Amino acid sequence: MSFWRTLFKRTNAHPLDEKTHTEIEKIISSVYVDPYLGADLVSANAIKSLSREGKQLKVSISLSYPAATIQKSIINILEPALSQLEGFDTVAIDVQSNIPAHKGQRAEASRIKNIIAISSGKGGVGKSTTTVNLALALAAEGASVGILDADLYGPSQPQLLGVPEGTHPQTRDMRHYAPLNAHGLKLMSMGIMVTEDTPMMWRGPVASETIQQLINQTLWGDMDYLLIDMPPGTGDIHITLAQTLAIAGAVVVTTPQDIALLDAQKGVSMFNSVDVPVLGVIENMASHICTHCGHNEHIFGQHGGEKIARENHSELLGSLPLQRQIREQADAGLPIVLAEPDGEIAKLYKEIALRMAVNVAQPGLITPLPKITFVDD
Amino acid sequence: MPHSQASLSAQANNRIDRDKIPVEVKYHRRSRILELIYPKQNTVELSSEYLRVHSPSAEVQGHSPEQAVLQYAKQNINIEDIIMQGSYAIKLSFDDKHDTGIYTWNYLWDLAENHSAYWQNYLKALAAAGKSRT
Repeated sequence: MSFWRTLFKRTNAHPLDEKTHTEIEKIISSVYVDPYLGADLVSANAIKSLSREGKQLKVSISLSYPAATIQKSIINILEPALSQLEGFDTVAIDVQSNIPAHKGQRAEASRIKNIIAISSGKGGVGKSTTTVNLALALAAEGASVGILDADLYGPSQPQLLGVPEGTHPQTRDMRHYAPLNAHGLKLMSMGIMVTEDTPMMWRGPVASETIQQLINQTLWGDMDYLLIDMPPGTGDIHITLAQTLAIAGAVVVTTPQDIALLDAQKGVSMFNSVDVPVLGVIENMASHICTHCGHNEHIFGQHGGEKIARENHSELLGSLPLQRQIREQADAGLPIVLAEPDGEIAKLYKEIALRMAVNVAQPGLITPLPKITFVDD
Repeated sequence: MPHSQASLSAQANNRIDRDKIPVEVKYHRRSRILELIYPKQNTVELSSEYLRVHSPSAEVQGHSPEQAVLQYAKQNINIEDIIMQGSYAIKLSFDDKHDTGIYTWNYLWDLAENHSAYWQNYLKALAAAGKSRT
């Protein structure tokens, strides 16, 4: 279509009569159920328009999550089903992702559509590795994604993303910094502001101040998702983040063992008390397949993540196995979603990332914010 | 720095209740009334004095009920600024420089729901301590 036509929205497309419209909707809803939305495209309100252009049927679909992979399968399923229709010679299906934005963000972060906190009560359950792989999975599905490494005391995102030692963010005025670009992700971390072996020996108020600077003085630009790699616990940094940003939702990572679940529950309760909806729970290190004999063992117990999700009216987004490659590739600076994009583990991460994206797009989960006004009466 | 984390932990485990999140927060400067308009069209009016003396700040509530500090002579207090705290609360700045009270949606709801009881208790406590509103 020519530029001018697009500009003035003038096309040769004509709306369909009611009977054909219903017939097409019926076909679409009967042949395909979206695995992430958990519904057919008609009841999920994903059909943007149906129209006729000469002898061609035009179907325009809009999804609320990044869907580079699923796009193709939607077209592959709908096209043959719709070409059975009489009265049309060809079918043109257009699938696009329109990721809705969480409202009420402060000016500094207002161009970020959705801020998602990845958290766990306990340290060492694989938060950072999960964060980076989820971010890469969302990016692989076509979204623009950034990571804020909020673990000031032990930043690990620079190493996970293979940022060479000594890389510093660019700045013009020594006040605002451009985030680093690592494997297509925007990254801001304390690890790129100081040298690797400098310990941050700070008391709470300084840490709070610093995390605010990392948020407000980074030139984030437009982004669909910003994932925050949270430090373990429920301390100063968590409270500051919850107060400074309108966080769209939180994901809690845990291992299935009781002692980690105990802390994960505290994490969930913290988000509840600051009105951040919990998008789901990710169970990490859920099972281990022995490299010698292939025996599958649940080292940290079973169903722990599911239990905590159910108790908190949330959802288990997925379970990841304890696997040496995940750790090795993460340490090498090439997370598994990049290193083996078609492998089983990468598929699991993609699955979890898209479920998370669908949950954050649900209007029922978006916390409404009030309008504040002053009047002189 | 004093803050109101005591009230945070007390409210843990509460699920987000959307009916308790106002759609509009309007402060009337001259009448010194904070008007909260809720999604189900119910409106609540709280005086700035009532809000000030019941501030959830640790400066007022202490870290336990015994540590609470009775607030008095706040009848003519005004609210200077209202700042959103994430998506869960507002922070009110009063013109006596008190600005550490973080009022969560649940806390505001509670203040409105039990207004007459809390207000009577406050007046009794004032009288018992020999203090006045002015």
